[in-house]
Amino acid sequence: MAESTPAVNRGFGRVLVVIYGIFALAATARSAVQIATRFDEAPVAYLLSALAAVIYIVATVALARGDRTSRRVATIAITIELVGVLVVGVASLAFPAEFPRASVWSAFGRGYLFIPLVLPLVGLWWLRRTSAGAPAQ
Amino acid sequence: MTGPYATTIIVVSLLLAGWAGVLLLVNRPPGRVLWLALGLLEVLMLGFLVGGVVQMLGSDRDFARLEFVLYLLGCAAIVPVAAWWVRDEASRAAAGVLLVVLLVLPVMVVRVQQVWAGPVG
Repeated sequence: MAESTPAVNRGFGRVLVVIYGIFALAATARSAVQIATRFDEAPVAYLLSALAAVIYIVATVALARGDRTSRRVATIAITIELVGVLVVGVASLAFPAEFPRASVWSAFGRGYLFIPLVLPLVGLWWLRRTSAGAPAQ
Repeated sequence: MTGPYATTIIVVSLLLAGWAGVLLLVNRPPGRVLWLALGLLEVLMLGFLVGGVVQMLGSDRDFARLEFVLYLLGCAAIVPVAAWWVRDEASRAAAGVLLVVLLVLPVMVVRVQQVWAGPVG
């Protein structure tokens, strides 16, 4: 009743799941098209797009389910996401030749309004904020 | 694919986004009228999907057809999926979800137009 610690998939969590879901959809569709039609142009970027897509899917499902195990899965997935966007962001600026085509995480997600950089931070904050509110069932 | 129909979708979506944004600010969940309006928007999106595919099949230009169809499907799916996701959320979070989706939808429609118009890029 007293919603001091809301469940991870309620309230703001609803919005978070939708944003993750949109990124999961966009990254999946984008990497599928890239790999199916022009993989040779930039295999590194395209494989990273595919990896990002998988992580976004896992994070979306885990955040939406919101039980104990899912919270752990979400925390791991979002941590990998954060590391990924930082590493790929640095690498894409340091070795631009390896990234002739953009991946979701290139230049810290500049092509997506830097949302890929902010999203994992928000996700981890929300998981922390709701950690006492994990459903007991 | 360009032209008044797509423009109508973009305008309607942005208007409804504004509506959802106001609900978010005044801390209210979406009401019946907004859901009805979303239903009308979805009818427009289904027309966009069908019209887009028909135009694609009637064209022999070279453009990214797979991307085009995926974007059209995404455009048609995003509102119903979001509505399903917030079906029992009786807080302003439901309005927040709709706001996000209604802001993303115009971007997707513009992408549809770009894919339709342009070479693979």
